[in-house]
Amino acid sequence: MGSRVYAEVLSTFLLRTKLYWSLLILLAVGIITSPVSSKGVNIFLSTGNLSDVLRQVSNNGIVAVGMTLVILTGGIDLSVGSIMALGSVLCAMLLTHDERTSATLLSFPVLAAVCAFCTAWGASHLMGLRDHAAGTKLSSAHRALATGLAGLVAALGAWWLAAAQVQSKFGVIGVLIVVPAVGLAFGWFNGLIITKGRLQPFIVTLAMMVGVLGIARVVAGQDAAVHPVYTGTNATEDFDILRSLLYRIVPVPGLFFLAVVVLSATLLRVTTFGRYVYAIGGNEQAARLSGVEVDRVKIAVYAISGFLASLAGVLYTAQYRQGKPDAGVGMELDAIAAVVIGGTSLMGGKGSIAGTFVGVLIFGFLSNILQLNNIDSNTQLVLKGGIILAAVLVQERSLGDLLGLKYLFSWRPDHSIAAHAHHDFSPQQTVTPASATERQLIDHPLHKGGSGQHLQPSNAKHDSN
Amino acid sequence: MERRTFLKITASGLIMAASPLRSAFAQAKKYRFGFSQSTTLEPWRVQFNKDMKREADMHPEVELLISDGQDKTEKQVADVENFIRQGVDVLLISPKESAGLTGVTLKAIEAGIPVVVLDRNVNTDKFTQFIGGDNVLIGRAVGEYAVKVLGGPGQAKGNVVEIWGGFGTQASHDRSNGFHEIADKEKGIKLVNEKIDCDWKQNKAYDLMANLLKAHEEIDLVYGHNDPMAYGAYLAAKDAGREKDIKFLGVDAIPNEGVQWVNKGQLTATFLYATPGAEGVRQALKIVKGEKVPKTITLPTATVDKSNAMQILKENGLG
Repeated sequence: MGSRVYAEVLSTFLLRTKLYWSLLILLAVGIITSPVSSKGVNIFLSTGNLSDVLRQVSNNGIVAVGMTLVILTGGIDLSVGSIMALGSVLCAMLLTHDERTSATLLSFPVLAAVCAFCTAWGASHLMGLRDHAAGTKLSSAHRALATGLAGLVAALGAWWLAAAQVQSKFGVIGVLIVVPAVGLAFGWFNGLIITKGRLQPFIVTLAMMVGVLGIARVVAGQDAAVHPVYTGTNATEDFDILRSLLYRIVPVPGLFFLAVVVLSATLLRVTTFGRYVYAIGGNEQAARLSGVEVDRVKIAVYAISGFLASLAGVLYTAQYRQGKPDAGVGMELDAIAAVVIGGTSLMGGKGSIAGTFVGVLIFGFLSNILQLNNIDSNTQLVLKGGIILAAVLVQERSLGDLLGLKYLFSWRPDHSIAAHAHHDFSPQQTVTPASATERQLIDHPLHKGGSGQHLQPSNAKHDSN
Repeated sequence: MERRTFLKITASGLIMAASPLRSAFAQAKKYRFGFSQSTTLEPWRVQFNKDMKREADMHPEVELLISDGQDKTEKQVADVENFIRQGVDVLLISPKESAGLTGVTLKAIEAGIPVVVLDRNVNTDKFTQFIGGDNVLIGRAVGEYAVKVLGGPGQAKGNVVEIWGGFGTQASHDRSNGFHEIADKEKGIKLVNEKIDCDWKQNKAYDLMANLLKAHEEIDLVYGHNDPMAYGAYLAAKDAGREKDIKFLGVDAIPNEGVQWVNKGQLTATFLYATPGAEGVRQALKIVKGEKVPKTITLPTATVDKSNAMQILKENGLG
């Protein structure tokens, strides 16, 4: 299936033209309006500025990728900001070592145990998923493998704890393992309550947002809003790697962001799990009836979102040299905005990581351009609000429709994978307007049923816009 | 297609909005100062910006760019990075938090831009100059005043409420420490409430005070870490009909705010925490002209009570 998948990925990238055009036009605006430095360099285009933008968007971008997965299943995750903040505080705490840190570490084995359990649970379920796709039942071999993996993770956790007690300090690899694991645990908890408790994701993650903010504040200390990492005496120098520049241009947080984008895009495109995500967002009931284990996929999606949010927390600590309990206030809204600008439907089932990536860049470049031109900050907010609104309008109802210009701009590339799912990607098909039959397919993502099948119609849906 | 059309419109709008700004001012001015303000949600910060603009207007050779961090460390860091890219002649920064803004301050210094840190410090001493008030000093002044109105040294007696600004800001800790240095010597002075973060906000202080008034029958003095919080507490006491029994002390003494409230007899006193805005512009000018400037400038405080409030209002054209 390899070559077909790559063709799909490539063509999706090439064909999401509307979105890419908007990014290109925004870049053009940036170049035209940019101030020119005393040496005659276009400041907007300077590598320094582009590198700044990539670093500035990396946190929001990583969180937005997780949010995309959640939204694709038709859910929402409001707790990402708090989980990121908790991640940042935990990270700062583990990197430094003072009296308060030791006290908090005492309560840490509990947390570690929870994390180990979650990881074991998640691993065994993912195994189950893959098995299911192959049409067999969960084999005892897989079960054993999952348990073994869980044991390994638990052992690792215990080892890191021991290391923390002995050396008094976590290193960069330590925080990169432990902190995202904690975020994963909270995300898993979100998913568990939503699916098993049959509650609205909005309410559950809202509660989590408030609660985790409290936990983050407790971890940071009684009356401190900030837990600094670098205070001179307890600097953890190897941690600086996470905020440094490669070849003086590429910011490491940006690299993490790009890696997360590529990995999750692959996860969505290539794996059965990805197909299920779209299937659930398209029509949860139909997915359930056709044998998709909806709860498992949903829990996994929230767990991934929590994982990515706390990974962003580690990068936050690296960039701002502090763990801050209210670092993520309002973050969920920025992430949702980027996801929506990227063309993902809040109703679920339709959208892509590539779109979110472009959405995040659009948001970042917009801020950058406005700031380089020294536009008043209140005006900036108004413009940003307008852009988000416009993006949603364009996504839901094309602007041409809105202006009654539909027939003047009738050329529309056909983004659907269904149209060229059989290798032969011909130009003729790309200029076909979205047809009634295609819409029909979209409305019935699982009309063929059968869990062992590739859910092609649901794939068709997510790129139809 | 449609989106392209839309973006073209947006783009031309942006260009139109941006170009007169640059063409009209950029060439005429000799020096460009970039000022990164942490937030403009607090009255003191608004006054800060006003002082800064007023001073900059007096020097036609200065172009002052102000950015608003909107109370977010990330935003403020991005703002400063933009100023660095634009190559401003001096960077003035009033950090939201010390730790979060230290890295970017160092980045500016490395880029060869002199940095004047205003009000809140950063965790490095590589900047060019720091200008700010001394909050410990102010805290002590409040403490001395409180002891005086509660019966004088040795005999002072009373239940005191302290309303915290923000646990994450050094200013709040300093204003508290200075106060306790003096007030804790008096055995008769009792602090009745737990530390609660009111985030410098009037509404939060109102809610806190409303609760405290229910729990404590005797409250003699309220010390708010800033005027809006002291005023919020006053309003809560007024709504409970107990404002006459309580003395309210605030900090900042912004003319159209704290000083007005003192003049109306709502607050007993307020203590000046001058904004470093005007001084910042003056010092930045010295820096670009190559003059030597001191590493630290501490702005003095002053007590404002009924005796001098009217005079201060008149000086500011408000009397």
